[in-house]
Amino acid sequence: MAEAEAAAGEKQAGREAPAQAGPPGVLRDRYVIRSNQPLPDLSAPNADAFAAEDKRDSNRRLYALICKPELPPRVNVMRALKGVSTLGLQSMIEWGPMAWAPAGRQCMTVVYERPAGNRVMTSLRGEARRIDEYDITRKVIEPLVNGIKELTNRGITHRAIRPTNLFFMDSGGDRLAFGDCVTSPPAFDQPLVCESVESAMCLPVSRGSGTYADDLYALGVTILFLLLGRNPVAHYDDEALLRAKIQMGSYATLVGDERLALPMIEVLRGLLCDDPDQRWDIASLDLWLQGRRLSPLQPRIEKRAARAFPFQGKEYLNCRELSAAMAKNWDLAIPPVLEGKLELWLRRAIEDKERAAVVADVVRMALGSGTDKRVATDLMLCKVLMLLDANAPIRYKGFSAMPDGYGAALAALMATRGDYRLLVESIVRDVPKLWFEARSDQPDASEANFRELRAYLTQTGMGFGIERCLYEMNDALPCQSPLLGEEYVVELRELLPALNAAAGRRSEGSKQWPCDRHIAAFMGARARSDIDRNLQALADPDGGTGLMALINLFAVFQYRLGPEQLPGLTGWLGALAQPAIAAYHSREKRKELEKELPRLVRKGSIVELYSLLDDANARAKDGSEFTWAQTQYQAAEDEIRRLQSDEEEREREADRIGKQTAAVTGIIIGMVTVTITVIMTVW
Amino acid sequence: MARKPAAKSAVAQAQARAAAAKRKPGGGTNKVAMLMIVAALIPFSLPTATVLVFTMLPTLAAYFSERGNSRYAWLCVGGLNFAGVIPFLFGLWFGVHTEDEALRLISDGNVLVSAYATSALGWMIYKAMPPMIGSWLKFSTDRRVGSLKAAQRKLIEDWGDEVARKPQSDAPPAAG
Repeated sequence: MAEAEAAAGEKQAGREAPAQAGPPGVLRDRYVIRSNQPLPDLSAPNADAFAAEDKRDSNRRLYALICKPELPPRVNVMRALKGVSTLGLQSMIEWGPMAWAPAGRQCMTVVYERPAGNRVMTSLRGEARRIDEYDITRKVIEPLVNGIKELTNRGITHRAIRPTNLFFMDSGGDRLAFGDCVTSPPAFDQPLVCESVESAMCLPVSRGSGTYADDLYALGVTILFLLLGRNPVAHYDDEALLRAKIQMGSYATLVGDERLALPMIEVLRGLLCDDPDQRWDIASLDLWLQGRRLSPLQPRIEKRAARAFPFQGKEYLNCRELSAAMAKNWDLAIPPVLEGKLELWLRRAIEDKERAAVVADVVRMALGSGTDKRVATDLMLCKVLMLLDANAPIRYKGFSAMPDGYGAALAALMATRGDYRLLVESIVRDVPKLWFEARSDQPDASEANFRELRAYLTQTGMGFGIERCLYEMNDALPCQSPLLGEEYVVELRELLPALNAAAGRRSEGSKQWPCDRHIAAFMGARARSDIDRNLQALADPDGGTGLMALINLFAVFQYRLGPEQLPGLTGWLGALAQPAIAAYHSREKRKELEKELPRLVRKGSIVELYSLLDDANARAKDGSEFTWAQTQYQAAEDEIRRLQSDEEEREREADRIGKQTAAVTGIIIGMVTVTITVIMTVW
Repeated sequence: MARKPAAKSAVAQAQARAAAAKRKPGGGTNKVAMLMIVAALIPFSLPTATVLVFTMLPTLAAYFSERGNSRYAWLCVGGLNFAGVIPFLFGLWFGVHTEDEALRLISDGNVLVSAYATSALGWMIYKAMPPMIGSWLKFSTDRRVGSLKAAQRKLIEDWGDEVARKPQSDAPPAAG
C-alpha cells in the first residue's frame, strides 16, 4: 500500500506523463471530458483526473475521474452519492460508462465538483499545514463528521478517508471535504496507517466495505495527521506498523510521545480504539462536538505471554501477533501447531487453559480426519488462527479477506488475470463458515451467501462456476464478456441492446452463440427470478434444447425489460435456430418454420421467435405424429420382412391353393357337363 | 435337428391313431352303411356300375396315388373324368340299360378315349394349377412389397431417416 500511496503522490505531484490524448469523451450527452487536459493534482491513485465541462453551464467547475477497467468501481456508492451536496463531501455530479478514446474502450467515469483549493496533503511522507486544536473542530471535525453522517444515513461507507484524499473546497482553506471513494474497491487505496488492525491484515483489494467504524478510525488518523502536520509513523514500514499497532494499540503507536490537548486525546482515543465495538460512533462524536466531555477510553491491550513463542526467528508475546505471523507463513506454521507447541504455550505462557484445550481438540480432529491430510491440516490452521484472533479477517494460506471483500478481490483478480485459486478454495472448503462460527455475532445472511457461492462453484456448467460467483458478489460489476466488446453492461436491461449491437460485429456464418460463461452468469445473478433451471439447460448436450433455453431467457428479458425491437439479436438467434427447428420431426413443419423466420427477424421480436419455435401444442402434435409414423414404418418393415422371408410357406400355400382350385375346377366342369347333358337330353 | 421332424411325425401319427380310434365307432358305421347301400343298388344298376368302374379307373388311380392331407387330385381328375363319361351314361340310362350295352360301351374306343382323355386333361389342370397360383402369389407379394416400400419412402420423405428407428415404447408420444 505504501507503494500505491507513493505512486499516487507522484501522480499528484504531476510528474507522471498524462495518458495519450484523444478526442474528448462525452458523458450522458452533457459532460465533455477533455482528454488533453489532465489534472494530475486531482487524480486518485487508480483514476486519472481530467477537466470536465457541462454543456449546459460552462461556468461550472468540474473534473472527471476515469476509472481503470481492471478494478471494479463502487457503482452502488455512486448511485447513492449522485447529486448529494453536503458539507464534508465533494459533490458527485454525474457518473456512468463513457467511450474514452485514450483507453480505446468504455470506462466508468465520475464527474465531481472541482475543489477551489488544493489537496490537504499530497503525500503521506510529506508535510501538511498544521491545524491547531482550536480550529480543527470547526474546520475539520465538524464538516467531516457531517460527511460521514450523510454516508451513514445512506447506508454506505466511504473507505477512502485519508489525509491525502482531503480537499479544501474553497480558496480560503476553510471548507474541507473528502475526495473520491468510488473509483476503486473499498479501502483499496488506503494506506495501512489509516486502516484498523483487522482491515490492515487483509489484502488491499479484499478489505470490503466494512462499517462506519472503519471510517471513524480513518477519521481519527486523519485528524491526528492534521493536528501534527505530518505522518507520525512515516518511519515505519507496513509490517512494522501493523506489528506495533497489535502490540501497543493504535493510539499508542500513532500518537506515541506527541503532546496533545486533552480534548484531542479524548477524541483520538475514542476514534483510534482497536475494539470496533468500543470505538466512538457518530453519537459519541456529536456529544463531544456539543462540548460534553467523555472519559477517555483506556486501551485494552491483549494479554502478554509470560514466555514468548518463537516462530521463524522472532518471538511473539501475544496471540494476535502470533496469528498474524502464522497466517503470513502458512506452511511453516503447521508443524508447531501439530506438534502441540502452541497448545503448550497457550496453556503455560498465556495461561488460557480453555483455549489450549480447544486448540488441542482441533489438532486431534485434524490428525484423526479421514479426508485428505493436507486439506485437514489447512483447515486446522484456519481454525487455530481464528481461535488465536477471532477478530482477524478470513485467512486461508496466503489469502486474507473480510467476507464483504471477497467480491472486489475476485473481480480484481479476474480482471487482471490473477490467481484466484486460494479465494475459490477457501469458499469450496467452507472457510468463511468456520469464520462465522468463530464469531457468533455476525449475521447469518452472509454465511448463507457463502453457502450459495459454494453451491455455484460446485457446478461447472454455463451460468455457474467462478463467473457466477463474480456477479453474485459484485452486484454492480459490468458484464465481462468479450462478446459485448466495448459495451458497459451493468444492468440486465442493458444486456439485450448490447448483444443486439454485438450482432452487427459478428462474422457471417459464425456459429458463435450470443451467450458465453460470463453472459450466462451475469443473467443468473442479475435476474430477479430464479433462472437456474434454464441455465442448466444451456449445457444440454442436445444443442436444440440449449438454444431454446437461451431463446426463452432472452424472450423473457425482452418481454419484461424491452426493447420491443432487436433485429440484430433476433437475426443472430434465427441463424442459430437450426437445431431448434431440427427438434421438430416433420419436414413440412421445418419448412414452414424456416419460411416464417425471416419475417420475425425483420420484426426483431425474440418473444415471437420463441413462440414460433417452442409451440407446445405443435411440438406435442409433431411428437405423436412422429411416433405414429415410426409405428407405421415398423409395421411396413415387419410385413416386408415376413413376405420376403416366407418363400417356402408361399410355395406350400401356392401348392395347396393350386390343388384346391384345380379340384374345384374339375368339379365345376363335371357339373356343367352333367347340366348340359341333362338339358340336351331333356330337350 | 434332423430327428426332430421324425419325432414330430411319430407324435403326429400317435395323435392320428388316437383320433382315429376315437372316431372309429361313428366313422366306421357310416362307411359300412354307405357300402351296404351301394351294394344293394348294384343289382338294380349293374350296367351303370360296370361302365363307371371301367371308365372311372383314372379317378380311382388318382385317389390312391396321392398321399398327404391335401388329396385333391381325385376331385379334379374325377370331375373331368365324369364329364367325359356322363354323355354315354345318359345314353345308357335313356337307351337300353342292359349289361350287354354296358359291355359294348366299355369296349367302344370312343367311350374310353373320351373318359381317359378328359381325365388326362384333369391331370394336366391339376398339375398346372399350383405353379400358376404360385406365380400369381409371387406377383401379388412383390406388388405388396413394392407398395410397402413406397409407403416407407414417403414416411422418410415426410419425417426423415429417424422415422426408421424403432419407437420408444416407454416415452410418451408427445415427447418429441
